[in-house]
Amino acid sequence: MSTESPDPREYHYQAGSYIGEDRPPGAAPDAGEHTVRREVHGYLLGLALAAGLTIASFWVSHTGVVYGPALAVALLVLAVAQMGIHLIFFLHITTDPDNTNNILALAFGVLIVCLIVFGSIWVMTHMNHNMMPMSELIQHQP
Amino acid sequence: MSTEVLRAPPDPYHLGHRPASANAPPQVTGHGAGGPAPKRIVVGYGFWIFLLSDVVIFASLFATYAVLFKNTAGGPTSEQLYDLRNTALETACLLASTFTCALASIAVGERSQKWTQIALACTGLLGAAFLSLEAREFASFVARGAGPSRSAFLSAFFTLVGCHGVHVSAGMLWLGTMMAQFYAKGFRRDIRHRFLCFTLFWHALDIIWVAIFSLVYLVGTEPRQFLP
Amino acid sequence: MLGKLSWQAIPFNEPIPLFSGAAVALILLGVLVWVVLRGYVPYLWREWITSVDHKRIGIMYMLLAAVMLLRGFIDAIMLRGQQAVAFHSMGYLPPSHFDQIFSAHGTIMIFFMAMPFVIGLMNLIVPLQLGVRDVAFPTLNSVSFWLNAAGALLVNVSLVIGEFSRTGWLPYPPLAELRYSPGVGVDYYCWAIQISGIGTVMTGINFVTTILKMRAPGMSYTRMPMFCWTALASNLLIIAAFPILTATLAMLLLDRYLDFHFFTDTAGGNSMMFMNLIWAWGHPEVYILVLPAFGIYSEVVSTFSGKPLFGYRSMVIATMAICIISFMVWLHHFFTMGAGPEVNAVFGIASMIIAVPTGVKIFNWMFTMYGGRVRFTSPLLWSIGFMVSFVIGGLTGVLVAIPSADFQLHNSLFLVAHFHNTIIPGVVFAAFAGYTYWFPKAFGFTLDERLGKWAFWLWLIGFWVAWAPGYVVGLEGMTRRLQHYDDPQWRPWLLLAALGVTILLAGIAVQIWQLIHSIRTREQRRDLTGDPWNGRNLEWATSSPPPVFNFAVLPNVTDQEPYWDVKQQALKALQLVTPEPQYQPIEMPRNSPTGFVTAFFATVTGFALIWHIWWLVILGLIGAYVTFVIFAWRDHPEFVIPAEEVARLDRANREARADYLRELAR
Repeated sequence: MSTESPDPREYHYQAGSYIGEDRPPGAAPDAGEHTVRREVHGYLLGLALAAGLTIASFWVSHTGVVYGPALAVALLVLAVAQMGIHLIFFLHITTDPDNTNNILALAFGVLIVCLIVFGSIWVMTHMNHNMMPMSELIQHQP
Repeated sequence: MSTEVLRAPPDPYHLGHRPASANAPPQVTGHGAGGPAPKRIVVGYGFWIFLLSDVVIFASLFATYAVLFKNTAGGPTSEQLYDLRNTALETACLLASTFTCALASIAVGERSQKWTQIALACTGLLGAAFLSLEAREFASFVARGAGPSRSAFLSAFFTLVGCHGVHVSAGMLWLGTMMAQFYAKGFRRDIRHRFLCFTLFWHALDIIWVAIFSLVYLVGTEPRQFLP
Repeated sequence: MLGKLSWQAIPFNEPIPLFSGAAVALILLGVLVWVVLRGYVPYLWREWITSVDHKRIGIMYMLLAAVMLLRGFIDAIMLRGQQAVAFHSMGYLPPSHFDQIFSAHGTIMIFFMAMPFVIGLMNLIVPLQLGVRDVAFPTLNSVSFWLNAAGALLVNVSLVIGEFSRTGWLPYPPLAELRYSPGVGVDYYCWAIQISGIGTVMTGINFVTTILKMRAPGMSYTRMPMFCWTALASNLLIIAAFPILTATLAMLLLDRYLDFHFFTDTAGGNSMMFMNLIWAWGHPEVYILVLPAFGIYSEVVSTFSGKPLFGYRSMVIATMAICIISFMVWLHHFFTMGAGPEVNAVFGIASMIIAVPTGVKIFNWMFTMYGGRVRFTSPLLWSIGFMVSFVIGGLTGVLVAIPSADFQLHNSLFLVAHFHNTIIPGVVFAAFAGYTYWFPKAFGFTLDERLGKWAFWLWLIGFWVAWAPGYVVGLEGMTRRLQHYDDPQWRPWLLLAALGVTILLAGIAVQIWQLIHSIRTREQRRDLTGDPWNGRNLEWATSSPPPVFNFAVLPNVTDQEPYWDVKQQALKALQLVTPEPQYQPIEMPRNSPTGFVTAFFATVTGFALIWHIWWLVILGLIGAYVTFVIFAWRDHPEFVIPAEEVARLDRANREARADYLRELAR
């Protein structure tokens, strides 16, 4: 607003301009050299990794490789890894500062999902352990 | 309104992927202090937040499925019902469709009408294959007396997997609309923004399917005594 | 053909709903006829109904909230009246009615009064404070509002066509399942909330995107006004929590409509899961309401103390801490359901921890006032009333956060008094403070201050007379939602509570009179400069009301409280310090009927679903989809305001302020 000689520590932005870009989620990075070839290779690599993890999941659940009770956890880990592959290769989520907002939103979402899923399982397991099954409750009604 | 852009703080950890150059213009990234963002970023980010809200719906359905998993009310259980070959086929279809969707986004970037339509058509066909496999699976469950009204477990299964299917169907409608818009109006900026949102949506659906096939189908067919 | 709908749906044999419905219908008809005859319809359609301007939408939200406040308050009068007379008697409300009234009271007050009020204030003010022209998605904003209005409409229609739910403001199964609630009441509730819930999630998306991606140049996060921080936290909670509500009500609807078994008492359903999920939404919901309220108090207290907000950074940290922790306490709503001591302990401790950041905020407001030049205007009175009352309410909250204490107090009047003690001083007082504080910005004249003070004192006294007895009878063992009672010990307290409600009624009457009188005498209190309160943030840099584009040139922000600094320089020099800018044409989004039409089809679809009129459901859904496609297909979403028009409006604002400075110079 005022046009005195500026303090070198201050930044004056031309109103209405936008200096520096955030990247929208899902958009391929457009800095640097990229060609159709490189992009296709990127997606092919993502496809291959995702397919590999999928096959691994199916395989792990049907051979005795993983210790029985740990199977669900192993499948969860493989699923999370595959989600990561999708996020990196197909949705172009990176640790670049221009992706910060996207990552923060993702982290928030992951927190909420964990709270809801694991919170509910924990709470309801305790409830079910302590409470009479519904069918018995009905029988006891007058 | 003469203003100057002065030196921005350097990037000592070189977190960005840009070539650090003394002559490069100063970047104000991620802190929004340069004024309102361009429309592309606003639209993309808004849709990202919407996807977050959608993921929370799925989280609630997953939580319900996990809690009601054992409540089979004397009816069919997961290992009696789930057909893993079908699941593997559905997974292959959806993963391939994610790949063709990514190819479509390259085509849009190159402004090639032909390849855009081809890639989107392939995505649509694979999506349709997925939906028909899923519809067949649901119909077969119902025919065997394992419909959603049979037990709480089946209600939860049908709702969780069905909700994903409804999202895929909505995505197909959207896909058709995008193909029509590209064809009728070319690669106009707002249509490309919408397409960016569509690719986000389609990839997110595959991410959710990863969770479904791992935690519903694969966990559901492991030997019972190992289930937590 | 018409599903379950028949003439029996209209309560011809029940005098209370019949007469009140007839009265409302007559009033509505009268207003409509007056509007049509005076020729206001084109103006209303063009300037308000199809508007995508955040300021207009914000005002409409608050209008909806005000009307619903009246309806919800009438329900409250009926409830208190019933409990005052129903000692060793059945009172005047049969149980089936009483149940519908307390259900409607809670549903309306939370979903259609508090939410719209808070969202309306955010709509009106956040873009102005951020120094931008509108929210990220203006048409989506319009859709959000109209969907909320559609939900409110459905709830009110249930008064005259059919019945409302009798399950309380949250439809717990198994009571809410088809077997025990075969009527349409629960369906009315569920569909109304689902429709308005979609609108609310859209608002959340809109505001998070706006606050994170669209701010004036130079406005980094640490230069954002406190109200915008709390709006951000609240909208993040909306995005994270409302989908849980959507999913849970969808599951209940699947149980009711398609014989699913999520929460039924047969075939393996688990009703407790409903409580778990609904409160995972329900607790963040109260923080969605109260965080923007805290933001309003921050604005009001700093303006009327003449000081910047004390401890800005600690306020921000406290706000975001509340945002996150609010997702970790939900089980305290059902300590008694049987999760056991380990689980109860964790959630009880978390519930006590969440009181700490709120305490930080209270101290910050007090320290803002300390050493300042405090002006005891009515917005500040509302804030002080809040500080004292909310602390007490919060303390009783910490009390019931202790699981063993809660086993005695759960579902007693003590609990009901606690949440009224936090919501009314917390949210409602903030709504009134914000309404008075920002009224001149929206309409160009201030409200009558004397009547405002009367309203405040009547509300404060009325609130305490109405709710302090609740704590007493709660400790004496009275359960909530009692249609009649026999314990003589409770009687004097319930009579006192009824007196309290009468005092509140007087307060509301004064507020209504204040509005009418202020409009009639508005020329005496015109806000000529746009800054009637000596404000500190950017919204006071615009004229009152602001032009459609808010700012002719987006302001450059170099510090916190950007407007205050420029103003101090101007006051010192006794002339405007910023030169006249170079005016450019401005692109603004075009008005659109999309919101209104979508909501129309949503109402039709909702009504058809409630009454099982399946062909109408399909028509409604097709209509909504077609509306959306037509909107998506338009080629010219924006229109251009020419530079001369921008110049004219901005010059008027600059002239008004220059006049004020010249007056001072004399």
